[in-house]
Amino acid sequence: MPLTELLIGGILLGGVYALMACGLNLIFGVMRVINFAHGDILAVAALSTVSIVVGFKLPFWLAVVLVPIGCALLGVLIHLLILRRIESAPMIMSLLATYALSTILVNVAILIWGGGYSGLPGVLSGSVRLLGANVSVSRLVSFACAIGVSMAVWWLLQFTRFGRAVRSASQAPELASISGIAVDRIRLATFALGSGMAGLAGVLVAPAFAIDPQLGSRFIIKAFAVIIVGGMGSYPGAILAALLLGVVEVIGSYFAGAVIGSAFLFLLMLGVLLVRPRGLLGAGVRI
Amino acid sequence: MTEPILVVENVSKRFAGRIALESVSIDVARGSMTGVIGPNGSGKSTLFNIIAGTLRPDVGRVVVGGRDITRASPAEICGYGVARTFQISRLFAEMTVLENLVAVARGRDDRAAIELAMELLKFLEITAIVNKWTSELSYGQRKLVEIARALMLQPKILLLDEPFAGINPRLQNRIVEHLHALCARGITVFFIDHEMRIVLTECDLVYVLAEGRLISRGDTQTVRNDAKVLEAYF
Amino acid sequence: MKQLGPLGVFAIALVAAALVPLIGSDYAVSFSIQLLIFLVLAYSWNLIGGYTGYTHFGQVAFFGIGAYVGSLLIFHWNVPWYLATLAAALAGAITALPLGGAMLRLKGPFFAIGMFGLARVLEAFALGFDGITQGGTGIYLKPLNDLKPLYYVVAAIAAVMMLLTWRLDNSRLGLKLLAIREDENAAESLGIPTTRLKIGAFVASAVAPAAMGCLYSVYLGFIDPPTAFASNIELTTIAMVLLGGMGTVLGPLLGAIVLSVVNEVLWANYPQIYLASVGVIVLLAVLFTPRGLVNIGMKGGWLALGRPLFRRPAQPASQSS
Repeated sequence: MPLTELLIGGILLGGVYALMACGLNLIFGVMRVINFAHGDILAVAALSTVSIVVGFKLPFWLAVVLVPIGCALLGVLIHLLILRRIESAPMIMSLLATYALSTILVNVAILIWGGGYSGLPGVLSGSVRLLGANVSVSRLVSFACAIGVSMAVWWLLQFTRFGRAVRSASQAPELASISGIAVDRIRLATFALGSGMAGLAGVLVAPAFAIDPQLGSRFIIKAFAVIIVGGMGSYPGAILAALLLGVVEVIGSYFAGAVIGSAFLFLLMLGVLLVRPRGLLGAGVRI
Repeated sequence: MTEPILVVENVSKRFAGRIALESVSIDVARGSMTGVIGPNGSGKSTLFNIIAGTLRPDVGRVVVGGRDITRASPAEICGYGVARTFQISRLFAEMTVLENLVAVARGRDDRAAIELAMELLKFLEITAIVNKWTSELSYGQRKLVEIARALMLQPKILLLDEPFAGINPRLQNRIVEHLHALCARGITVFFIDHEMRIVLTECDLVYVLAEGRLISRGDTQTVRNDAKVLEAYF
Repeated sequence: MKQLGPLGVFAIALVAAALVPLIGSDYAVSFSIQLLIFLVLAYSWNLIGGYTGYTHFGQVAFFGIGAYVGSLLIFHWNVPWYLATLAAALAGAITALPLGGAMLRLKGPFFAIGMFGLARVLEAFALGFDGITQGGTGIYLKPLNDLKPLYYVVAAIAAVMMLLTWRLDNSRLGLKLLAIREDENAAESLGIPTTRLKIGAFVASAVAPAAMGCLYSVYLGFIDPPTAFASNIELTTIAMVLLGGMGTVLGPLLGAIVLSVVNEVLWANYPQIYLASVGVIVLLAVLFTPRGLVNIGMKGGWLALGRPLFRRPAQPASQSS
């Protein structure tokens, strides 16, 4: 068993999961909303990237800048039209709403881009030798960016005034608004930021994987698995769990095929939900 | 003297290192009206929840009718004849008053359940609201329905969590009358509250908690004049 | 205005359903079979999602289990389709019991996501373990010459589910489930056996969908993982109950009729537009009518208020809502 190669592959895959999961966690932490449509924002971002690079023949780095901004704007729209109206409703309502949104996004994506697979050949192609294994450049770059951005956002949350405002809005919204923090705007900014992160993840995924509109549904359940295993609301937990699950999936696929390999992830998630719902590092969720 | 129906033996409870209760012992006589008062943070709610089964003590036992219920779940405790109300009323939304009552009735007969519900509504003088949705009720009405719902379980012991909080004195007095009527029927009434006026005039036995410890116990006269109580409160 | 009670509506619906095979075209029979299957799925989901409040996105898991159990029995051992359906229903019940016991410990959104994950896992297994399930190729069954017996079986099950729901709505059991939905902890503190009731509702919500899975395979003459665990089925079921009215007797019927029509008009030719539209419907329902259309009917006065057993006829003054 080519252990090094599998481990590295798993960790690289985990990087993208980490970026997605951190975005989800951010949204959940502040808004108590579980964004079912998160994966589909990623998919739309990936498909847009292909359109920009292959369709409009613009450079890849332009997509890296434009697409996440576009996704953030999409997030603003979603928040204003939908999420803001159901803020006080029980969590299941926002879950239903984002579940419906996910369906809408997937199908609109199929109408725009067709249901087939596309990719970005020629972008970040080639491979390097790392610790004795062949590693594709695109996956390495996407890992570095993903982890970099995840850490940057974490730093933002811990050490800036905005981050402090976000954290107080999530832990004690009433107190936060009394102390002058515009909780509404924090929520809007958070959802936009989370959507932007999903968008960036999509751009990074485009060169490394084959993409289709259904990509989001495949990623979302893995992102859920990551934050449940890592602990909902726990940022470092999400990153660690993402890397762990990336490795689990890659090793599982090696032994049992890609299909069952990804099933291992769900099973792990179900297992954690049942045995230790707090997750590895989570502090418990007040619902 | 007959066996007390409810005994709390030497119960202690900490939350993350902070002492909520320290070696508290209480006994409650059958058919009596017993109250526990204490300033904020005295541990009243913790004690109440330990008796009702939603919390477990770190040390000590709770015995009801001779049976150790320390580790029992709230549902099991209901089976042993204990019913409780909630401080912030937790009536079932999207259901009417009658439905709230009938939903908790035990035993198989629907008709008997409805009859019992109507009887209790009559006892509490609130038959007029039988078909109202809980969202339409006033605060005082909600408190009364909470009591009625607990009584649907035909309990031997009725635990009331701050039953007098936030309602006007006239309604408070009415509730006191109803509680006395229940005691007369042999039901034991036990409650925690802030409302000293009522506890210190109406109860057979009063316990006073402060900072997790029992600082006074006795009938209303004794407690009212107890220096430690005055110190704790003022 | 004379009020129409649920039994009255059911009677009309059932008479209509009984007449279709006799006077309708083949197309009408086909459409009605699909509608009735959705009806059964909606009423089943209504039990766990509507009444008990444990909304989830994984009911199609049991539909798929039933589809595969039934299809494999027919394919390998030539079991007659009605017996296979029985076996499928049994399989649904048997798998729901331990799964429910485990999954129902999760609260709210975790339960919903967990069940969604379960459905995806089962789909992956159906695809991956192709030695048993024929994987992506799917299982081909001999198509039926005459759809009418199938139709009547589906209609009968639909009738049973509707009557069961009506009985539930009019009983203390129904009230207990609603109590669990509204405040599970308070219900438990007052002696309601929440775990037992939740699992019961869950199993009850799995049996009929499993049977429907088998019947659907027989109807199509074919089954494969994307068909057995289709997210279209899940989404449509939820949309029907949400739009119609969760935890009501007539809600699923209303929702099933509306969405079956939408489905029929759009699905064949414009599947993406259909799915996106159902998504929009769910979104609009969540935003504007979370209690469903049935609630509007009750407020408008032309549908009888639900749960009549617990309304005191001696208090006509308070018969308002």
